[in-house]
Amino acid sequence: MVASLTRRFADLDIAEEAAAEAFATAVERWPADGVPPNPGAWLTTTANRKAIDRIRRENKRGDKQQEAQLLYDDPPEPLGAIDDERLRLIFTCCHPALAMETRVALTLRMVAGLTVPEIARAFLVQETAMGRRITRAKAKIKAARIPYRVPSAEDLPVRVSGVLAVLFLVFNEGYLATGPDTDPVRHDLTAEAIRLTRLIRALMPDDGEVAGLLALMLLTEARRAARVSASGELVRLDEQDRGAWDAALIAEGHRLVRERLAARVAPGRYQILAAISAVHTSARDVRDTDWSQVVALYDQLVQLDPSPIIALNRAIAVAELDGPEVALAAVDRLEHRLAGYHAYHVARADLLRRLGRSQKSRAAYDKAIELAGNTAETAYLTRRRDQLG
Amino acid sequence: MQYLVSVIDDTAGLATPEEEAAIDVFNDRLKAEGHWVFAGGLAAPSSATVIDNRGEEAMFTDGPFLESKEYLAGFWIIEAADLDVALKLASEGSKACNRKIEVRPFL
Repeated sequence: MVASLTRRFADLDIAEEAAAEAFATAVERWPADGVPPNPGAWLTTTANRKAIDRIRRENKRGDKQQEAQLLYDDPPEPLGAIDDERLRLIFTCCHPALAMETRVALTLRMVAGLTVPEIARAFLVQETAMGRRITRAKAKIKAARIPYRVPSAEDLPVRVSGVLAVLFLVFNEGYLATGPDTDPVRHDLTAEAIRLTRLIRALMPDDGEVAGLLALMLLTEARRAARVSASGELVRLDEQDRGAWDAALIAEGHRLVRERLAARVAPGRYQILAAISAVHTSARDVRDTDWSQVVALYDQLVQLDPSPIIALNRAIAVAELDGPEVALAAVDRLEHRLAGYHAYHVARADLLRRLGRSQKSRAAYDKAIELAGNTAETAYLTRRRDQLG
Repeated sequence: MQYLVSVIDDTAGLATPEEEAAIDVFNDRLKAEGHWVFAGGLAAPSSATVIDNRGEEAMFTDGPFLESKEYLAGFWIIEAADLDVALKLASEGSKACNRKIEVRPFL
């Protein structure tokens, strides 16, 4: 609904406020008046009216003809048009005139509907700074007249890579959500990220990285049911009940990975990450995992992406091939870059535990628990720490 | 909608003959396609004078208002429907004059 309001009013602020007011009115009136026969249309019409009222009040539209246009009621939109609206919104939020961190924040706010505190956590940034970032972005879109549309065919490849980066972050936020007491796997966000990636794929069916990202998401999402225990604790990959994995999603993910391998084009980072996931999900039992393949793929990935988080994940795989001592040395080298990242301390804690260094392991678990953002993961880490004895 | 396309220079030199030729071609295109509003090259910052008449008396200062390595060398004012159009044109402008440019919307 925010997308279609934005299309009509070319102002994200007005669209957002009008949508919120419409919902608030619904909450007030529907219990007494009864739910209208077509709630979606009611909400859209109400939001449109509120947006028009606000525009009139703020005298933003001097042009009478434009105002007349806004009063014209659109017919209810078919499903295809709504998808188009969402594509337009996402390409706008991911416009190259906006800094990458801004595109991510704006998309998470406008398309995925995360709150400012949630977005701030995901990026280890102060809430106030994140709020300012989003406000400035909306102001720039308006002042510079960033157009609200899907880019032309010639512009599409460049614009899409920006969108993929954002969608990946949305997916990650949904897969392991931050904030205490949040449901650790927010299905709405992961489903949203998958749905939008499928939309982009429909737009660019031959693009390798789009296929790679979709495969990665599907192979990760396939493990959702096995990822949280009945007691609400996070279950690590090596401890998951593989029978609970979604076979259909895994099959589709593997098909996409094979398709990209057959294309014989140098893979981008999403395709490599998807391939790593495919290696994991091909193993019936964790002991069957082809770790040398995983490390080889990480070696390729490290060439493309110098991120310390990639280096950390590679080190964790190296532990399975070359043992925890070698891996720990590699992990420790990342200290100055990852000291504030909970997964770094989790990795250290685990390796130290395997090396029998209980005291240091305990300290690392403590640090990880302090930095961990979500209840299910905290529960898991607490249990591992307490098992140290 | 109008955009100011500023040319940012950090060298001492004016445009070379090749650059001037490329700029002429670009300007002709802007005019032909209805984007041209105004354009011009500026004399060196040292030729500038700053005036502050906010107080009792007007104060005159010799030189630019900002001493910096990078300075405004010239500008276009273009008419474009939206930022995508402006950015495409400005990209070509940057190539033509062989300098960094800044695109900024008018109010």
